[in-house]
Amino acid sequence: MAADVGVKNKDARNTLLGFLGIAALVLVLLFVQSLATAEDPLRGVAKFNGALTLFAIWGIAAVSLNLINGTLGILSLGHHGFMLIGGYATGLLILSEDARNRILVSGRSTMTERTLGLSVHSWFESLGLDALTTDDTLWLRYLVAIVVGGLVAAFAGLIVGIPSLRLRGDYLAIVTFGFGEIIRLSASTRLFAPLTNGALGFPGVPQRFASDQLLWPFGLLALTVFVMAKLKYSSYGRAMEAIREDEIAAEAMGINLAYHKVLGFVIAAFFAGVAGGLWVSWLGGVRLDFFLFQLTFFFLVAISVGGTGSITGVLLGTALVVFIRQYGDPLEQSYAVSTWAQLVGVVFLIAAGAVIVYRSARRVRPRVHPVVYLLGTAALVAILLGLVAPSFDFWQETFRGFGMRAIFLSVLLIVIMIFRPSGIVGRSEFSWAWVFGERRDQPTEEERAQDAWLTNPELQRRLAGDEENLHSIDGDSKGES
Amino acid sequence: MAMLEIEGVNKAFGGLQAITSLDLRVEKGEIVSVIGPNGAGKTTLFNLITGVYRPDSGNIQFQGRSIVGKKPNQIVDLGVARTFQNLRLFTNLTVLDNVLIPQHHKLNSTWFSAVLKTPAYRRKEQEMREFALEKLSFFGPRLMSFRLYQPVYVLSYANRRRTEIARAMATGAKLLLLDEPSAGMNPKETTEITQIIRRMRDEGGYTILLVEHKMNLVGEISDRVVVLDYGEKIAEGAYQQVVNDPKVIEAYLGKRVDDDEGASPEEPGLPR
Repeated sequence: MAADVGVKNKDARNTLLGFLGIAALVLVLLFVQSLATAEDPLRGVAKFNGALTLFAIWGIAAVSLNLINGTLGILSLGHHGFMLIGGYATGLLILSEDARNRILVSGRSTMTERTLGLSVHSWFESLGLDALTTDDTLWLRYLVAIVVGGLVAAFAGLIVGIPSLRLRGDYLAIVTFGFGEIIRLSASTRLFAPLTNGALGFPGVPQRFASDQLLWPFGLLALTVFVMAKLKYSSYGRAMEAIREDEIAAEAMGINLAYHKVLGFVIAAFFAGVAGGLWVSWLGGVRLDFFLFQLTFFFLVAISVGGTGSITGVLLGTALVVFIRQYGDPLEQSYAVSTWAQLVGVVFLIAAGAVIVYRSARRVRPRVHPVVYLLGTAALVAILLGLVAPSFDFWQETFRGFGMRAIFLSVLLIVIMIFRPSGIVGRSEFSWAWVFGERRDQPTEEERAQDAWLTNPELQRRLAGDEENLHSIDGDSKGES
Repeated sequence: MAMLEIEGVNKAFGGLQAITSLDLRVEKGEIVSVIGPNGAGKTTLFNLITGVYRPDSGNIQFQGRSIVGKKPNQIVDLGVARTFQNLRLFTNLTVLDNVLIPQHHKLNSTWFSAVLKTPAYRRKEQEMREFALEKLSFFGPRLMSFRLYQPVYVLSYANRRRTEIARAMATGAKLLLLDEPSAGMNPKETTEITQIIRRMRDEGGYTILLVEHKMNLVGEISDRVVVLDYGEKIAEGAYQQVVNDPKVIEAYLGKRVDDDEGASPEEPGLPR
């Protein structure tokens, strides 16, 4: 009974802390948003606002991809295809009247009046819900459009999933990649051009939801995380994890492999479609090159860096990727060669320090690896050269680090994969029990004693002074050996 | 009606005839052991029954219904579960999860009600948990309390074997196929698992078909022993009768070349 009360108390505490945490996050978001949309916003705040939005949008996509890659254990490379479908559907359904007219009058477009008439606006009109067609209720139309976009993407997931999920491992990865590219390229074909406007795409998707109002992308991110977390800890999530761990054993334990794989695929495709809907709203338009394979690559990096299968880890990884993408631009500007030399020196010094810290923490000897001396010397040489640079012409030249962000991200990925192959947080998830250091898998003193007795009954008998049994055990083991 | 009825089953892998016209009947509540030298086709037999392989010819009936051509998960639905010779646990998941997963196929809630945690789903989840604990308690306190929440990869080999047996029981199956349940266990643990298998039959009401190499375990619990060699059944009957069968001795020890050399007939090399 006492234990029950303890559990209940802890549940209550966790719920309370959860609500407080969410409330705090909402307040922070509202604060940032109010700063960013102020009359004369600070430049840094606007940028931060943008980074937060990108984090939320990519977070939705990465967390949903994690259901396939992390929970089901299937390497899927076609997530950008589902985002594209959701994006195009949402974009078309919410496109402004102005933009529609412009497309209609332009001679280059293959979109017809009928396809351009597809909008939530006209749906509501035909239903006689005129109150919902005003500018004030655009948010409701946007919500409907996003849900429809998600459903269309989920349907595509079903179509793609049923034939391809019979395959395993690498073959499946190639097939999903193929489907992603097929989706992307067929959007530009004549067959779909009336819906997609071919390679031109269309501008004029209302931007206010993804850009100015942080609660939109974050609300949908919260919904995604909620569904994914509840799914993960439900019987269905366990079945999916079983498929990841061992397909043959999962099937031998009664799990219908095809059904659960397709189910995971469809749910993930739905949320990819939702992310696509936000993505086109953020970019203010729909174009083929908004949905390159690069997107899926970024999500995969986020998943691998953060922790495959862990929602917490994926969010962390997404934050890292978005941070480098949004704030890494100083890396790509042109500096004097001497500055670059100093920068390289500093990076080497940090690396050398990290090696020492890592080896001390893991108790690896020698603590100072020879590589550290090498790195340290190289760093000192680079910094010194940078300092004496003004004396030499060569060092005065400037160098522009094109693509330095991607390189930095790649190096980060390599380092994490070497030292923590399962990602920063591994498989573990955030929980209040973890914050308070409560672990259910650790035995109490009593349990430990019992366990020791189970593994070695002699221990207890010796303690109890049961000499007779002790001898009989010795006798047994002699007889059997 | 027999629990399991195998009639004239053949299975070949290319040119290798793994099982040749095998007949086998297992009645309800029996413990039947399948023994035989390495490569005799014991595990192939298990794979045929559980639907991993499809027999080339012949019929396999479970409780009067043919299960040939059914998928492994459909066969589990009908009530046949197995353990694996070289442990196929869900290594990164906890012991409790490992025993909850095989109950998933009995769940009739949709994924949506599972996400929303409807009262009906919560009740199911609670029932599943109690059922899992009931099955784990067959092994005494070994897998209970804190062990429930430990991932399988920290468990000892013997505990993993126990978890696998509990997992097979948790499917709700009536017929359990145990592939070497005592492999990797020391003599004490083997004695314990022998008693547990007997209790599984007596208290749990399971019918058990097992493959085993440890003859003292086989001799102690089997109602009937079936001996396979090169995919053929060479003997069947009570343990004492089977181990003294000259064909069985020949299968295990080989044919005698000369009367002066080799094992004498009084010492067949198998414990009685």
